[in-house]
Amino acid sequence: MLPIDVAAHGSRWRGRHPLEKALLGLGLTVTAVCLPPWPGGPLVAAATLAVLLGPAGVAGRQLWRAFRMPLGFCVTGALPLLVSLGGPAGFVSLAPDGPRHAGELLLRTSAASLGVLLFAFTTPVSDVLPRLVRAGVPAPVVDVALVMYRIGFLLLDSMAQVRRAQAARLGQSGRAAVWRSLAGLAATSFVRAFDRAGRLQEGLAGRGYDGALRVLVPRAALSWRFLAATAALLTALVAGTLVLKELYL
Amino acid sequence: MHIAEGFLPPLHAVAWGAASAPFVVHGVRALTREVKAHPESTLLLGASGAFTFVLSALKIPSVTGSCSHPTGTGLGAILFRPPIMAVLGTITLLFQALLLAHGGLTTLGANVFSMAIAGPWAGYAVYRLLRKSGAPLMVTVFLGAFFADLVTYCVTSVQLALAFPDPGSGFLGALEKFAGIFALTQIPLAVSEGLLTVLVMRLLMQSSRSDLVRLGVAKLTGGAGAQQEATAR
Repeated sequence: MLPIDVAAHGSRWRGRHPLEKALLGLGLTVTAVCLPPWPGGPLVAAATLAVLLGPAGVAGRQLWRAFRMPLGFCVTGALPLLVSLGGPAGFVSLAPDGPRHAGELLLRTSAASLGVLLFAFTTPVSDVLPRLVRAGVPAPVVDVALVMYRIGFLLLDSMAQVRRAQAARLGQSGRAAVWRSLAGLAATSFVRAFDRAGRLQEGLAGRGYDGALRVLVPRAALSWRFLAATAALLTALVAGTLVLKELYL
Repeated sequence: MHIAEGFLPPLHAVAWGAASAPFVVHGVRALTREVKAHPESTLLLGASGAFTFVLSALKIPSVTGSCSHPTGTGLGAILFRPPIMAVLGTITLLFQALLLAHGGLTTLGANVFSMAIAGPWAGYAVYRLLRKSGAPLMVTVFLGAFFADLVTYCVTSVQLALAFPDPGSGFLGALEKFAGIFALTQIPLAVSEGLLTVLVMRLLMQSSRSDLVRLGVAKLTGGAGAQQEATAR
């Protein structure tokens, strides 16, 4: 399994209803995207970090490992905002307000990413998918997503094994060998995915498969206290940002 | 290259979501029809989606010496057709956002448009055109994967340029900047993905020809082909 999903399965908030966590995490993300980046970004990021490391109990190191990936893209994507092409200053010049725009973008993106990570670190995908049918997603699409989710981990595991075996047989010893190994790895994944699907099909057919994949979903009740706290936090962040912006900026 | 969470302004995020929606809905209808007609397809489609998800986890060496991962959109579109790929790509991007922190939920529409719609359709169009003109399979596979990869990154550059126009030269200047960073540097990676896709397809032709025949990519040859022709008659 992938580290974020492992953390989600062992999360302190695992038993909470996914809708509660979606409203909190995605609410923080939408708030970060819609509010002015300054001072909205730092306020939302601080609140999200406090929830992540406090009540949600996510380990700081795990959070950093997951967070540094989107951060890398944000930094790369923000770099072009620092320069301007054409105009009286020459073909390439420093963009007026470039550092401010890049800084605001980094603030907004960081805060928004933390909101999604709050949801991801506390809610396993397997808890969310079966509930999507009630949200109006067609059942066949949810079934395909469930199969993808389950087979995906098995394939990742078998790919890691194949890669180790290739390395042990000097499959990474030169450029040509690396290419051969990569192609073999991708083709093996394809063959194993279809082989596993075929065996699953046979197993399910023997159990009276009628086209619907029914799975047990852990029961969870909505907590009105949690929802009220979420609404209060989001309202406080919006109000705080607008007041600070009005008073000091 | 996934556009990260929160990178696009709210209006752009909503607009790209709206632009992607018809393609995804079309794909969902195609997938639902397929599953209703052949319930066993659920597992094969799930396996196809899992393969697409896993493909993006491979690291390929670039011609420039750096390392990247394939988009898998070209191979996916050739094997499973673009409408199905729109749905499988959307689910894959959703999983990547939640399980790997690649991309995001507010930018899902934009990422779906570039990676699950524009790239696969462009790659598939090149593949089909060349196949009809009688070009060898491996040439069409290489060019299909190359263009699918490159178009994905060009569309990403357009999306970013629309969101962040250059203060001096507007949209075109911004496009030049973002394309310089994402699309031009992607050319060697697109070549790498094309080469990898050809190698994968060659291995699949040897080991899983029956699956490729069922997917409509390869034709039956030799005894099996003659037997099927005789049955059809």
